[in-house]
Amino acid sequence: MNWSAITEAAATGILWIAFACFIVVALRNIVALAQLIVAAWVFWTRVQPGKGARDLWQRYGDLTLPITVIAPAYNEELSIVQSVKALLTLEYPEHEVIVVNDGSKDDTLGTLLRDFDMYRADRTQIAELQQTRILGTYRSRRYPNLLVVDKENGRKADAANAGIGFARTPLVCIIDADSIIEPDGLLRAAEPFMYDNENLVAVGGAIRIANGCTIRGGSLQKIGIAHEMVPRFQIVEYLRAFLMNRVANAHTNTLMLISGAFGLFRRSTLVEMGGYRHDTVGEDLELVVRMHRFMRDNGRKYRIAFVPDIVCWTEAPAALKGLDNQRARWQQGALETLQRHRGMIGNPRYGRIGLLAMPQIVLEDIFGPPAELLGYLVLPAAALLGLLDPIMAVAFFFVSVVFGCALSVGTLVLEEQQLRRTPSAKDLLRIGIAAVVENFGYRQINLWYRLNGIRRFFRNDTSWAAVPRVGFTGS
Amino acid sequence: MNFYQNIVLGTSVFAAAIILVFLALVFRRYLSERDQARRDERDTAITRNYLQRVAGHKVEDVRTWDRRTRLAAISRILPLLRGGERMRLLQIAELDGVLSETVRVSYSVYRAQRINAIQLLQRFGSEVCIGRLREMMARDRSQRVRLEAAFALAANRSLPPPRETLRLLKALNRRPTRLDIALLRSAAPLYPEQMLLLLDDDLPEAWRVQIIDALGWSENVAVIGALDSASSDADPEIRCAVMRASARLGHPAARRWIMMGLADPASSVRLQAIAASVRLGLGKTVPAITRLRNDPELWVRLRADQALEQLPAADTGTPQLSVVG
Repeated sequence: MNWSAITEAAATGILWIAFACFIVVALRNIVALAQLIVAAWVFWTRVQPGKGARDLWQRYGDLTLPITVIAPAYNEELSIVQSVKALLTLEYPEHEVIVVNDGSKDDTLGTLLRDFDMYRADRTQIAELQQTRILGTYRSRRYPNLLVVDKENGRKADAANAGIGFARTPLVCIIDADSIIEPDGLLRAAEPFMYDNENLVAVGGAIRIANGCTIRGGSLQKIGIAHEMVPRFQIVEYLRAFLMNRVANAHTNTLMLISGAFGLFRRSTLVEMGGYRHDTVGEDLELVVRMHRFMRDNGRKYRIAFVPDIVCWTEAPAALKGLDNQRARWQQGALETLQRHRGMIGNPRYGRIGLLAMPQIVLEDIFGPPAELLGYLVLPAAALLGLLDPIMAVAFFFVSVVFGCALSVGTLVLEEQQLRRTPSAKDLLRIGIAAVVENFGYRQINLWYRLNGIRRFFRNDTSWAAVPRVGFTGS
Repeated sequence: MNFYQNIVLGTSVFAAAIILVFLALVFRRYLSERDQARRDERDTAITRNYLQRVAGHKVEDVRTWDRRTRLAAISRILPLLRGGERMRLLQIAELDGVLSETVRVSYSVYRAQRINAIQLLQRFGSEVCIGRLREMMARDRSQRVRLEAAFALAANRSLPPPRETLRLLKALNRRPTRLDIALLRSAAPLYPEQMLLLLDDDLPEAWRVQIIDALGWSENVAVIGALDSASSDADPEIRCAVMRASARLGHPAARRWIMMGLADPASSVRLQAIAASVRLGLGKTVPAITRLRNDPELWVRLRADQALEQLPAADTGTPQLSVVG
């Protein structure tokens, strides 16, 4: 093979790579645009949450399914008391709070025992789903609906499993200990269960970034916007994920992820499935994918719903340091889930989950990040070398960056038109600017973090680093 | 233009359109914030105006207030008024054509808007509103709207008889949801005799269970006989419903059914009987519940443990009577 043949082969290769990158990015955008349209339709036709049916529930409170809120806690000594107090005061006819102390190295357990006047009680565990040892259970003399489970350290999935095992209510709500639940968040999330005839197995709710908000006593006092750009970019990302992606997926019965920060599940289904898996860093995605698989394998009718109203606020990494680990972990978790459930991909036996939802995750998490990042390098280079029409490189830029801006701003339009939870016009404009700016730098950095996640997946890296938190204003 | 040029153009137009819509929304929000003080002042004036009219004072007629603004003001005032004042406010609202605006929206082609109108009609609860709600419950093309209208009527204690309610909601063709159960419970005190008559029909078993459950909310001793015969029904779901109804009704006869329930072969009935004992504070059931701590069913053992913590140590014997009818 002579030199010209080599360069010709290289040029052909580059061209193919360029076309492949272009097609993958364009496909992702077509999917996102379809989701935006479906979400807009859902919002346009949805009934605003009103007091109608809720008035009646208050009269017949026993009809609402009792809920156990499970809050795994690890080294939360400073904030746990306020968080638990906020959980105990949530508006709901009947709910129990189970705090699982996951082998904290600080005085989380001691703080709980002292502040809630707790005593050791031998509560029977109905299902043993955790892999570590339970060290004790404690009940409060002042709050009969509070239970603390002390166990050896085993990460969040293990702690949540321990809590599910102790729960006695038909529904369990798994949250992060530092999640700020809206006062009526449980009521809103449980509402779909009131219209259901036993098919509904899980409900997710919209989550918003709490950075910049004023939090007191574990409750949200005032909505605000963080000064730093990284949390603002994440506000846009969360809006895109929750108001566009999940609303559309739930509408088409293809919801594949219920965030670990807030998820409401039918307890019996979780117990049957064995709870969360311990051997993945993306346990929340894996759980919902496995739930689809479990229900379909067993030929059961089921539904997973999503409530577009905000039910929960969570603190996001305030800087790129911390975000890197989080995003790499999410990516790694997605790949682990896809590998474990690869038999579902494109499999007609799993209906729209196998034929639509799983291929969408493959497009988004396997092909998407490398294709886009590679496209940024290959297409301009190929255009400069004269291998392809420069207008194709420009079109790639428009399809990835300009279209990305439009989708983000489109989600903001949905938010402002329907939910209106952004405090002021000024803040709305700030988020709008973030929605445009995030496509120039932040988006590409994120892609790099996701590539790191892919690398971690192939290296089978199981290390887990906590996301650094800076705490809330006024907390 | 080639394919890629079309993509560039299409994307640009799409992005520009969305950004323009967004900027328009930001501007709308800005104007809304800027006018907040003026709107507050106007709302206060409307509220004062209506309160004065309700009290019979002479007021200046301001025609610049649109119906939607008046409607919002009346919605705010209404929960604060009772009896005659409330009636007068509703009459004034009707005279001002404010309610007709809500009634007009209730004919919207959009389901969501019709449901939003139902929520307002429910809050006002005047004769016109109740009439329109009945019409929507009977004839709306959407089952969800019919259900919402039924709720609104139930909240105003104006629900049609249960047989009609079930027919209009096409309820018997499906399994009852928790909302259906709530509707039946709210119909029970209004139509206790009709609820009993319904039991003579050839009903799906799931609905029979819920009707027996609803009898507990009837506040009427005439249902005791029906509950008594249902307490020995072959279907454990029916016996469970008797336990729930007993717990709610609080009639002395309940003690016998609950004692029977605690020894029932079906674990679900034993569970309901424990719950009924706790609700009624039946100290007499403590020995039976203590025995249930060794029940073969885990859930029964757990609930028995819980119940023993809640039940009074002393035997009061007779439950508190809550029946008024």
